[in-house]
Order: sequence, then C-alpha cells, then structure tokens
Amino acid sequence: MTIKRGFLKVSLLAALVMLVSLVLAACGDNTATPVPATTAAATKAATTAAGATTAAGATTAAATTASGATTAAATTAAGATTAAAASTLTGDIPIGAVWSLTGGAAIYGPSQKNAADMAVDEINKSGMLGTAKIKLITEDDRSVKEGGIPAFDKLINQDKVVAILGPTLSSTALATNPVAQDKKVVVLGVSNTAGGIVEIGNYVFRDSLPEASVIPNTVKATKEKLGYKNVAVMYGDDDAFTKSGYDVFKKALDDNGVKILTTETFKKGDTDFSAQLTKIKSLNPDAIIVSALAEEAAGIMSQGRQLGIPTTVKFIGGNGFNSAQLAKLAGAAAEDAISGAAWFISNDANGNQNFVKAYTAKYGTAPDQFAAQAYAGVYILATAIKNTGAANSTAIRDSLAKLKDIDTILGKFSFDDTRNPVHTPILQIVKNGKFELFK
Amino acid sequence: MEQLPQQLVNGIWQGAALALFAVGYTLVFGLLDIVNLAHGATYMWGAFFGFVCVTKLNWSLWLAIPAAMIGAGLLAILLDRLAFKPLRTLTRGGLVLWGGFLILLLGIVGKWDDPLKWTLIGAGAIIMLVGVVQDYLTKVPLQVRQVPHLAPMIASIGASIILISLSQGIFGAQVARFPPGTVSDEPIQLVSGAVIAPVQLLVLVIGVVLMLALNFLITRTQVGRAIRAIAFNERTSRLLGINVDFVIAQTFFLSGALAGAAGVLLGLAVRRIDATMGNDVELAGLTVIIVGGMGSIWGAVAAAFLVGMLRVLSVAYLDSSFRDAFVFGLLILVLLVRPSGLFGRGSSTRA
Repeated sequence: MTIKRGFLKVSLLAALVMLVSLVLAACGDNTATPVPATTAAATKAATTAAGATTAAGATTAAATTASGATTAAATTAAGATTAAAASTLTGDIPIGAVWSLTGGAAIYGPSQKNAADMAVDEINKSGMLGTAKIKLITEDDRSVKEGGIPAFDKLINQDKVVAILGPTLSSTALATNPVAQDKKVVVLGVSNTAGGIVEIGNYVFRDSLPEASVIPNTVKATKEKLGYKNVAVMYGDDDAFTKSGYDVFKKALDDNGVKILTTETFKKGDTDFSAQLTKIKSLNPDAIIVSALAEEAAGIMSQGRQLGIPTTVKFIGGNGFNSAQLAKLAGAAAEDAISGAAWFISNDANGNQNFVKAYTAKYGTAPDQFAAQAYAGVYILATAIKNTGAANSTAIRDSLAKLKDIDTILGKFSFDDTRNPVHTPILQIVKNGKFELFK
Repeated sequence: MEQLPQQLVNGIWQGAALALFAVGYTLVFGLLDIVNLAHGATYMWGAFFGFVCVTKLNWSLWLAIPAAMIGAGLLAILLDRLAFKPLRTLTRGGLVLWGGFLILLLGIVGKWDDPLKWTLIGAGAIIMLVGVVQDYLTKVPLQVRQVPHLAPMIASIGASIILISLSQGIFGAQVARFPPGTVSDEPIQLVSGAVIAPVQLLVLVIGVVLMLALNFLITRTQVGRAIRAIAFNERTSRLLGINVDFVIAQTFFLSGALAGAAGVLLGLAVRRIDATMGNDVELAGLTVIIVGGMGSIWGAVAAAFLVGMLRVLSVAYLDSSFRDAFVFGLLILVLLVRPSGLFGRGSSTRA
C-alpha cells in the first residue's frame, strides 16, 4: 500500500511539473527556461520531468519557427497593402472559413468545406493572384453560436485574416458577424439566407440568395402550376433561418390569397412530428409548406407519408430542402418535394459543369447548392482581391461592393447596394431521388 | 375529434419506445441509487451497433436487434467498471482497466500512422480485458469508499461525453438512417381514421414483449431475486453470500440491452441516428422515471405512456410550441404533489 501511495504521489508530481513546464512553454518563454524546482519533492521526479522539459522545449522551438514564418508572411501581405496601387500580391493571403462540421448542421458544413478547399486549390494553381496564394484557415463552429464566436475571434485576432467565409447557419451569423464588423474584417456568407444578416454592417456580404427573394417566386410559381388554395405550414421556431423562412412564406401566401389552415412548430433536432402531422392530415390541406433544415424536413416527409398523407399533397419548402441529404434521409417520401433554389446542378452557367465534374471526381458525391455557393464565394473573394490588388480588408470590402456581372457558377453575379446577391432563382423538384427543374 | 384515434396511436407507440428506454434507466437507479446519465449514450451506441449490423454486415433486422442489445449491454457493463465501480471499490484491476482505456482512446483519437494506430487500439483493448478479468477476480480491493452522492452522476456525464465524442469520431457527425425498406413503410389501417406504420407496430410489440420478459426476470428468477435483495439492502445481501458485483454487472447488462433495443427501434421509427440522439430522449427519460417514481419499473412504464400521450395531445389540441412546457409542467406538478413519484416508495422499501 505504502509503496503504491508513494508511486502515485511521484507520478502526480511528475504530471504537475510537466504541466507547469508546458504552461511556461506556451507562455512564450524560450527553450532556456529551466524547470522550476520549487519543491524539494519535485526533484524526486527529476528524470520524468527532464524528459518533459526537452519535449516541451522542442515544441516551443517549433512553435516559434512557425509563428515567425506566419509573422513574416503577414508582414509581406501588409507590405503589399501599403503598396496597394502596385497590385503586386505576394506571399500568403490568410482567409478564414467557419463551417458547421459537427452538430446539427453537419450535413451542410462538410460540402461547403470541400468546395471551398477545391476553389482555393484551383485559384492557387492557376496563378489568378500572381505569385500570391490564398491560405484558407478552416474552423468548426459545431453548429452553435457558442462555437462560432470563438472561431471568429481566433481567425481575426490570432490568424489576422483579411476576410471570412461563412458561417454556415444564419443564427450563428447573427451572433458572429458583429464581431467581424467591429474589427472591420470582411465576412462573406455563402449560405446565410435569413433576414437581418447584411444589415449588421457594411463589412458583411453574402452570395446566398436570401429567402426573401427566393420564396415569393416559389409560392407564386407553385400556386400557378398546382393550383392550391388551402395549405398547412410547419416551421422550426427556435432557429433564425427556419423562422425567417416562415415569415416570408406567410407573407407570400397572404399576398397570393392562399389560406393557411394551421401553423405547427417544432424544435431543432426534433425527431417526432407525428402529432403535428396528424393534426394537419385531419384538416386536408392541398399542400404542406415546410420551413425546415433538411434533417427535420426528411423526418416530416417520411412520417407524413407513414401517417397516410396522400402523395398528391406536395411538400413545398425553402433553402433547407436543397441538400442531397434530403432524398437520402427521406427516401421515397422525398419524391415530388418542391423548393426554390439559387443554383441547380444541371445549370449551364459559366464553369458550372466543370465544377460539378471536378467535385464529383474528388469527393465521390455530387455537389449541392451549399457547395456551389461556397465555391462561388471563394472565387468572388479572389476576384475582389485581384481587382484591388491588395490583401487588406477595407480594400477588399470596397472592391467587393463594386463587383458587377461577374461570371460565377451561380450565373452572372452582382452585389446590390445592401450587399445582397443579385442573380435569378430557380425552382426544383425531387424526381427519383434527384433534383430536376420544376416546370 | 376526427384526429383523436390517430393521436392516441401516436401516443401509445411513443410511450412504448420511451418506456423501453426509461425502464433500464430506473433499474440501475433502483439498484444502486445512481442516476446514470450515460444511459442516453448507451442508447445511441445501441442504435449504431444495429446500424453497423444492418448496413456493413448485411444482417437482417431480427439478428441486428439482439446483436445491438448484447453490444449495448456489454457497453453498459464496461461503463459500470469504468465510471461507477472504481468509485465504490477501487481494485488493481480497475486501474489496469483505466490504463487500457486511456491507451485505447489515444489510439482512436491520435493521428497515428496505420500500424501504430492499430497496435495502440489492440493493446488498449487487451489491457482493458485483462483489467476486467483482474477486477472481477479481486477478493481484497485496494480501497472501499463512501463517495458523495453526486460523484457517480458527474462521472456518468463524463462517460456520456466520451461515448458521444467517440461515436462522432468513428461514425462522423452526419445523420445516418437505416437503409430504406428495412421495415415496410406502407401504413396499416387500424380503425377508420387511424393508421399505424409497421415500424411503429414493431416498436410497440417488441417494447411490450421486452417489458414482460423483464418483469418475469425480476419477479421469478434467481437473478431477479438477487437484484431485489441488493436493492433492499446491499450489506445484508453481501452477508447472505450474494455476489453483489456480479449481480450489479447483470443489472447493467439488462439496462444497456433495453437501451440498445430502444435505440435501434427508435432510430428505425424516426429514420435518424446520430451521435447526439441520446440527449433528447435522456431528458424525457429522466422525466419519466421521476414522474413514475425513481426505481419503480411499472411506474416508469406507466409514466412513459403518460408522457408520450401528453406530448402528442398537447400538440393536437393546444399549441405545438408548448409541447415540452407541458411535459415539464407535469414533472414539476408531480414533484410538488407527490415528491416520490406516482408509483414511488421510500428507498427503505424499494425493491
């Protein structure tokens, strides 16, 4: 027993000393920092500790070199900034990206990351920015505001990025973008479609068509083709994106003289919708309008069909439907789901087919709208940087605001005065598990 | 009124699924007086065990459900040995087990090259196995201790986070679903105005069968008698020669197996399995076992049906935004009126 206790104590002390030395190393003290032998007991663990110091020392050295390199790069970039007019971009241009790679929105983030990585590779290889290279620093916001804010802080304060792509969710963007606006760092949202995003400030842009410009088009066109009069509405009432989608739907339905029989709500991450759907079924609507992310939408569709809601009652939705995951999760129940979209896989817009091919070859699945908008976002940023010839945030901001009718895979693309995107939305329907144009 | 029969059906099958989850929860509480907050994670792992059996091994569902139950049951035993037992009695085997577990984690999490990674994982697993056996054989523990009541609960939160992170690392953060056609989707007409999907019927039938089997086990078998004896008084049971640790392991196995079945069935029914799926049901399950009376099995069953029905009917006739508010309102009401739960008894007579 006593021997064991002693062993435990020694190893605990060793751990403590290792911790102290690591902390010191992290604080930036140089390799020379000796292990503070504050307690006599510490010497007992000297051998272990010595090993630890060496390791910690090595880490510090490595860290210093790396950070030195970064500083150098940053300086170069800053140097380029001063000589803005000369348009001689060199070195690394640090750009941040914040995606929801884990958590509730993890079906969107990874395809955005893939597409953005691909675009950066292409731009760096093509020499579009001369000898300069974009250095994309990706952070995961875990689909929550609490993850987004530290990610923005790190990118802005530590990595000194000149622009940030993302974040994936509108509700996160509402919390994070003021941080960037404060520090005058450009944010380009590539999937934020809720209201109130660009209103945060003049450094906030987006290339994703807001619900407000897609949904009225969706309602008008589907009402003409399907001729519905009474609909039921479902939406998630705890998410900025689905809530604002619902607001726009409600206004568009009212404007088109469609009667809303009932409005049912659910929460993000809910898995059971049978109570709401039973109520909807008993009211016999002509169509069901759903403002939800694809995961919940898939659950709603499959449970609706399980409850025997006839397939003549179509599900109509917003941007959340525009994910390949929808058909994958809901299977046959997703058939005939209609949604407005900013991008369509078979579009023949400039470079779109090449993008689809390259993406499919590289990642093994076809890209979705989220991938397309992220890919276009990188090119839009790169074009703005190229036009201004400077890698500083204010210059990029001014250059972005001036972009007019540039060719992207989303079509001819401009920003309007409020930094919202301008291009034509389309309408798509799921047929055999794939999106087709709704005609 | 037109929708009432259908809403009742919705409430009943959901109640059955919730009951399956909550019974295992309450079983462990009744025996050890600990709230195992990792029960939700066990449930999630059960769903993934079933998922792997169906998608990777191409087993039929009838084979996948028992496999998932066994997998989740063994996981629950491991959980007990890692998070709860060392708090009660520390043995050398327990320390070895922990060492192996850390090596295993290091192997899974770290970015190692291939041979090294599998060596670490393999070594970790073997050391863990040795630890379990050694722990089981130990006659004289290093330490028997009284820990504060909260300690096991906090340990279970930690275990739950580890299990969720592990599954995120292994299966990814994306939502998965059982392949379409695992169970038919065609709704079955029950009475006019009420249909039930085959998968929901499956949940109901398996749920009821498993609960009856558990009841039989607890009331009629030697194991059940031992469980009840330990729940009544652990010290006396030890003196009477009951192998308390073994019975506790069996109880954890039962609890985990029920959670595993619930995971597969609910994953099938709502077509969604992901690493965090345990979180929601865990809160609902906690409500159920408190309302039913901590430790009371039939209380948990009755409360599960009550909560399921309340969730469904509050959406049907009141407002869908307030569904959870009604459920937790019930929880507070029960705590005010009858703090030991609807079917609860004092801990001195629980069994």
